[in-house]
Amino acid sequence: MDIITVRNLKKCYGSGERQVRALDGVELTVSKGEFVSVMGASGSGKTTLLNMMGGLDMPDEGEVYVDGVNLSGLRESELAVFRRRKVGFVFQEYNLVPTLTVEENILFPLDLDGSAPEQGFLEEVVSLLGLEERMQSYPHTLSGGQKQRVAIARALAAKPPVILADEPTGSLDSRSGQNVAGLLKMAAEHYHRTLVMVTHNRELAQLADRVVYMENGKIGK
Amino acid sequence: MLENNNLKICRKLVRREFQFHKARSILLMGAIALVSMLCTFSFSLGFVIRDGLMYGHRIQYGSLSHILYYGLNDSQASALARHGDVKNTVSLRAVGVLSDDVMEYRSVKLAAVSPDWAEATEAVPVHGRMPQADDEIALDELTMQSLAIPPKEGEEVVLRWTPVDGGAERTDTFRLCGWWDSGMGATETCAWITQATARRLCPDAPDSVTLGVTLYRPGDLEAQAKELLYSLGIDGVTYTTNLAYNNARLRRIGTQSMPYYMINIVVAVCGILMVYSIVRISAGRNVRFYGRIKSLGMSPRQIARFMSQQAAYLCLPAVPVGWLLGFGLCIWVSPHVLLGMERHNPALLYFSPLPFVFSGLLTWLVTWAACVMSVRPVSELCPAEAMRFGNDSRMRCKNRQAGRRGRRRRTEISLMALSGFRREKGRTVLSACSLLLALVLLCILWTQYVSADEEKYVKAFSYSDYLIADASAATGLQRYNPWSCSITPEFMEALRRREEVTDVGTIRTMEVPMSADEEERAQAVAFYEGREQDGTVRKETMSGLPDWGTGYEKFRETGEYIGIAVGVDGLALSKALEDSGYAGGAFDAERFDTGKYVVAAGASSTSGISTLPVGSRVEIGGRSFEIMASVSHQSRLVTGSDSREAEFSLSYYMPAWVYEQLFPDSGIRNVTVNIDHNSQKEFEEFLCELTRDSGIQVTMRSDFQKNFRNALLHNYMIPLFVGGVLLLIGMLNYGNALVSSMLVRGKELAVYESLGMTRSQIRRMLVWEGILYGGVQIFIIVPVTSGLTWLWGRWWIAHSASAWCATWRYSLLPMWVALPVLAAAAYVIPQCCFRILMKESVMERLCAV
Repeated sequence: MDIITVRNLKKCYGSGERQVRALDGVELTVSKGEFVSVMGASGSGKTTLLNMMGGLDMPDEGEVYVDGVNLSGLRESELAVFRRRKVGFVFQEYNLVPTLTVEENILFPLDLDGSAPEQGFLEEVVSLLGLEERMQSYPHTLSGGQKQRVAIARALAAKPPVILADEPTGSLDSRSGQNVAGLLKMAAEHYHRTLVMVTHNRELAQLADRVVYMENGKIGK
Repeated sequence: MLENNNLKICRKLVRREFQFHKARSILLMGAIALVSMLCTFSFSLGFVIRDGLMYGHRIQYGSLSHILYYGLNDSQASALARHGDVKNTVSLRAVGVLSDDVMEYRSVKLAAVSPDWAEATEAVPVHGRMPQADDEIALDELTMQSLAIPPKEGEEVVLRWTPVDGGAERTDTFRLCGWWDSGMGATETCAWITQATARRLCPDAPDSVTLGVTLYRPGDLEAQAKELLYSLGIDGVTYTTNLAYNNARLRRIGTQSMPYYMINIVVAVCGILMVYSIVRISAGRNVRFYGRIKSLGMSPRQIARFMSQQAAYLCLPAVPVGWLLGFGLCIWVSPHVLLGMERHNPALLYFSPLPFVFSGLLTWLVTWAACVMSVRPVSELCPAEAMRFGNDSRMRCKNRQAGRRGRRRRTEISLMALSGFRREKGRTVLSACSLLLALVLLCILWTQYVSADEEKYVKAFSYSDYLIADASAATGLQRYNPWSCSITPEFMEALRRREEVTDVGTIRTMEVPMSADEEERAQAVAFYEGREQDGTVRKETMSGLPDWGTGYEKFRETGEYIGIAVGVDGLALSKALEDSGYAGGAFDAERFDTGKYVVAAGASSTSGISTLPVGSRVEIGGRSFEIMASVSHQSRLVTGSDSREAEFSLSYYMPAWVYEQLFPDSGIRNVTVNIDHNSQKEFEEFLCELTRDSGIQVTMRSDFQKNFRNALLHNYMIPLFVGGVLLLIGMLNYGNALVSSMLVRGKELAVYESLGMTRSQIRRMLVWEGILYGGVQIFIIVPVTSGLTWLWGRWWIAHSASAWCATWRYSLLPMWVALPVLAAAAYVIPQCCFRILMKESVMERLCAV
């Protein structure tokens, strides 16, 4: 059963001579529980595709369905709720809220939604990611690997069906990168989540069930 | 999809933002406190002006009540007091009205003490007390001065009064037990006696109550006054309404106080600019932050709440500080704007919470608007774009630099600084424009301010440095009493003995019945009945004064009129003749001193004069005089009023010694004094001491100087204040632009450093950038400000309506004060930015997002 369906997705940035075609008719489906890696050169449109799937950016043409919801038809406020409940993001630059503690960062999407966390589930996630000791710390006191583990915990906290990871190991050294990618895969499998990960790293990409290559805004062979 | 917006999270985020960015928050609070201060000040001043003007109108009415009903009986009065539309009432039982001749311009009722009425008309003794014993009386100061009653408790008071029942005029003797400043009772007040005295004086007085009514809604008083009587079935009762509540007056008051409220528009715009210029420093970071929290699912409603709470958090401590400062400023300024309120500070007297509410709301709006403006792109960008905000533009700059480096030109620090400076052209122009606007405005206002000439002003308004008036001639509402004699020979002796006194003159006046034959009065009749150059007939223009008309007709038909003998000497004589223009004959001092001649003074114009012809003989006090010259009468030389009968009169100036022979018991009405201005302070102290508790009124040179300074303050204080705030904003922009252009380049500078540039070279580069930035702006500001100020100033001095009291003085003081600050900032700010940037290691800056 497909949880993500991308149809004829097109997106251009800029205008005139400076126009860049980031996505050029992308077609993609991702099944529920699948782990898909997206690879490609810089500027091939990987991040743009991921942003479209997460409702962070709007396509010029085409449609994105996530868990049966057509993102093009959503208003701004509905998109916000969609992002809270349907997807969990893991960014290369972590995107933690610097003024909140680790615990508050993890619970942030739930807080925005006004919903209570499942205590047992959260404790399990925190323990799985090895964050028990750092729950009251602020992000600026953490290492890169720790920050990314907080970002993964945050992505899992609201139990979204889809996790989107944009080069989650890009800012980490190779050892930390391996650890984080391993954790991400393990967490997705453990909680039966669909994982779409953009990466440059061929080794990490091989962890996925399927690898998708992008080239000049199109899905390659 | 069901929305669920938890708004409590916003409060947590706002609180944490403050904890993490304390310095920026404190700076913002300072700016917000300034906005709140300006708003509180202008709103409070507007309210004070409105209430002050209202008070002025109420003074004219003589009571704080909205309606006064006269001649009510007890049951009618209590029925009105119980009416549902009536908030409260005060009542008065008058037994008579003071009928001394000198009281003719005022209505003073002899009445039994009514504390409520006294309160409503501000007729409560401030010296002594209300009467308690049978023969005691409390009076207002104007009445006492007119009747020459010394302000001393226990002083005997002899009053002529007419009972309200229409009985014959009586004279009774009382003892003074208290008095108050006339203030509101300038035209109408009470002389308080006890209930027992009132009953004793008028045992058969009719049941007549005057009722002051205060309504819940003081709109259309005339209609309400009628409606009240109609609804209670009361007939044949007269009433007056308080003109202070007249719609036209209320509109006029609104128009007069409007400029003070309008300042808030400027304050709001300036405030938004000021707060915006501070939050703009971290605008990029803020937009990226909002992009980040949007990507995690923050809804537009939550973001809106976050922003409004952020504004509220900033305002919470800052607004009360602004309230205090703004109200303090209002307390200081309002007495200079609302003149004549020396006893109470207008800001405290008319205190209202509304200015604080309005100021708080406006300040919050300003803060909110500035915060929203700084993150405006958030609403236009997708979260993905917002998270990248600010990074792309830097990339474009870097590309452009790379292109230039590609030309293989040798890289020098100064050239790199020039390149960095050129990158911020937009901000430099914006900063220069705001500084230029503020400095041109300030320098123009300053030039006008320093060009205002106090000496010219004082000369234009006063004949002499000091004009001293007898107690009965202190105001135009009093009829001058020639027998008051509050200016004594001892007083004059003490005055003349002062070393600093350079010139003294006295004026005495006496109304004398006189007559003229047909030939003699022809000149005056021709003057009043002939046409002026503009086609008007002077007699017709005087038709608004019925007493003048009666006097003139009597003069035209019978030749009888009131002549005013004016005994004048010294400075007063020279001022009376100075600028008067001789319409006939010529003044000869030697002949004048013989005591056989007088100078006739009357109304004059280019078409003639109202006096008898030169050479005519007039008889004054049984002595005959020949008119040697006729001049225009200088009414400003005397204070107080003559009788209504003398509304049409002709004046005759004669030597003071002749006047004294004719009217030996008459007092001095006015004294004119000139002094050596170096001893002004000592002389005024002496004069204050000399006139204390005497009722003598002194118009001092310092009064005119104070008026001049107050007028200057009134005209220039608020524009200068606004100009100052604009300059502050301009300087903040100047500093902010420099700071933000440097602090956002942490990564770029780290790249230079990693490529081998030393820290010292980076510091020099930043300082060069600062010097270029400051130098270019100063280079633009100095000639443009100097030129525009000179051009405007010359035009203003030639065409302005206030140029009559101005002497051209070119001053660029605000610019000379601002320039060193700008220059210092251009040198110091880059060094500070350098230190801040170098706190982080090269790697930290390279890895920073």
